[in-house]
Amino acid sequence: METLWLMPALACYVISAMIFVASRFFGRTRASGWATMLLGAGVVLHALDLTARGLQAGTIPVANFAESLSFLAWLTALAGLMIIVRRQMAVIGAYIASAVALALAVSAVMMHGARLVIPETLRSAWMPVHVTLAILGYSMFVLAASTSIVYLVCESRLKTKRAIATPDDPVPSLEKLDRINYSLLAWGFSLLSFAIISGAIWADATWGHFWSWEPVESWSLAIWIMYAGLLESRLTAGWRGRRAAALTIVVFVVLIGSFVGINLMYPGKHGGSFG
Amino acid sequence: MDQSLFILGVNHRTAPVAIRERLAYADAEVVAALERLRRRARALSEAAILSTCNRVEIIGVAPDVAGAFDDAAAFVAEDRNAALKAFAPSLYRLEGRDAARHLFRVGASLDSMVLGEPQILGQMKIAYARAAEAGTVGLVLHRAFHRAFTAAKRIRKATLIGHGSVSVSSAAASLAGRIFDTLSDKTVMMLGAGKMAEMTARQLKSKPIKSLVISSRTFDHAAVLARELGGIAVPFEDYRPHLKSADIVIGSVASTRPIVGPEEFEAVIKERRYRPIFLIDLGVPRNFDERLNRLENVYLYDIDDLGQVVHKSQAEREREAARAEEIVELELESFWRWMNGLDLVPTIRDIRYSIDRLRDLEMGRHRGWLKGLAPDERERIDLLTRGLTNKLLHRILQGLRKSGNSAEGAYTAEVARKLLCDELGVSSDELDALEDSTADAIADDDRADREDLRPDIGDQIGKK
Repeated sequence: METLWLMPALACYVISAMIFVASRFFGRTRASGWATMLLGAGVVLHALDLTARGLQAGTIPVANFAESLSFLAWLTALAGLMIIVRRQMAVIGAYIASAVALALAVSAVMMHGARLVIPETLRSAWMPVHVTLAILGYSMFVLAASTSIVYLVCESRLKTKRAIATPDDPVPSLEKLDRINYSLLAWGFSLLSFAIISGAIWADATWGHFWSWEPVESWSLAIWIMYAGLLESRLTAGWRGRRAAALTIVVFVVLIGSFVGINLMYPGKHGGSFG
Repeated sequence: MDQSLFILGVNHRTAPVAIRERLAYADAEVVAALERLRRRARALSEAAILSTCNRVEIIGVAPDVAGAFDDAAAFVAEDRNAALKAFAPSLYRLEGRDAARHLFRVGASLDSMVLGEPQILGQMKIAYARAAEAGTVGLVLHRAFHRAFTAAKRIRKATLIGHGSVSVSSAAASLAGRIFDTLSDKTVMMLGAGKMAEMTARQLKSKPIKSLVISSRTFDHAAVLARELGGIAVPFEDYRPHLKSADIVIGSVASTRPIVGPEEFEAVIKERRYRPIFLIDLGVPRNFDERLNRLENVYLYDIDDLGQVVHKSQAEREREAARAEEIVELELESFWRWMNGLDLVPTIRDIRYSIDRLRDLEMGRHRGWLKGLAPDERERIDLLTRGLTNKLLHRILQGLRKSGNSAEGAYTAEVARKLLCDELGVSSDELDALEDSTADAIADDDRADREDLRPDIGDQIGKK
């Protein structure tokens, strides 16, 4: 299905990403205000696209990988926008907007093709809850990874004494980046936990068993354990700063690998016949 | 009566502090001094005194500049009770365009001891306000100061002249801001109580910090400083237990080898649970082993690293200064055109605005019964009033043009502007809002001339 809004939304994201990257590169901090506004415009247009799809499907539009990816991109853009505006974190804009633009572009390319309809048996009130929790959780991990990249860049500049090149560059402090990373991880972890629980309840209601060890379930559990370990190490061993940032990125790479890999290798396994 | 701008003064380059402090005026003395100056130096028609740590200047306007220089210099000697001979070699005398350029450069902090420092603009604004209070500001100083303020603001906005840290202590503080979000829950520790360490601690303390621990080889010294800065003094033998709670450590101990090495510090880091720590090493020889920088979440900057920050900022400011000078020249050009009466455009624009405002006000007052008229009648009244104001404006403009492109012309225009604008209560803010429309003003003026020569307005009314 094609909607009017997808391409304009993608254009907004792409231009926003380009301005964000350019403003970092040339040190023109005022330009990032425009980039933020474009990101916001992209979120609005993208929301219209999702609404149109949702109205047509009669439920949230996540019938295939392309649509799930689009939904993930939207939630990431929305949450990213909130962090950029409310926490004055324009510096992560370059990563967020690029990731969102890339995800939506991939989604748009894959969107062509036969549309799968969600089977009647799976239509349940649990579906939007489970899917939204899971994808919102993933979006938190995207943001946490972006924040961690910024952390590592800033940290290495400070260590190697190159931070001094632009002393008035409004880069957030390491402490702030670390704190934001932590709260994003905590949110992402909680959402993922609830997503797994709600998925299990839904599976029980539909098929009569909570857990069937299919790939998405297994990988979700593995990722859940990794994030649990990440949070645990911070709380007990005091792993913070560089180490925490590096691990956040590593776990995120595993997450992306499984998200993409499973959807390409085992399409249609998770939840039955669609996917 | 050609008026000329002049500046007589001493600054940090021409005079040592011994002379500058002798001649300096406290802010509270300036108004009285200007009043004395007006009585004493009759050759001056306008005057202001700018007195800061780095300069004492009399900025004045006089028809005879040579006489004004002598009068002003004699006044300063007398008023400050200093022998003219003692400071005469340090005095600079600038007039005309050079004086204006100097004023603009001072305001833009291009003549400051620390290039780009922000205080000078505020000091200059106060100097202007004091002169206005003393009643020694006239048309020329009013314009000169305001153009200097505008130039300074433009330069702040368009260049990076005020950016970066230009002292070791501010460089350290700005680096602390890149590591920590806030210092209000951080402990600062001073090992050694050297002068530069003290300045750095003061700089960090300019925003709230949780606590300050001072330890020095001479305990008394640490205790005195702790009392002064509001911290706690710790004997030098006992500082180690405090190390784990310190987030920023400033080292300035005289020691032939590092007082803190990586092995023992690793234990401290673990105890701190890897919370970041910022080590500022101001000691020569260095207090902290350079390998500490390789430890996780430890950021070590020694005196050379900080010096490099300062050096880069200074180099950056100097690069920016070249761009700032260009802006000064542009602003100077526009001011100079006005000084020479070449530039009547802003004045004409202001007068036009005021007269249009007057018409609008009157039309507004009669809006009630005008509404009751037929549309064509209303239009005629509109044309009639516009015709009147255009005629009035034309008279004034012709008069101004006749007085020509001379300084006197500019004066006449300024007086006309003052009378009209002030009488009509047009605020200078409103006029500033028109500031950028100079080109439009010229175009408007030409169009107005053409309209004015058109007889049809009167004819139309007559016919109907």
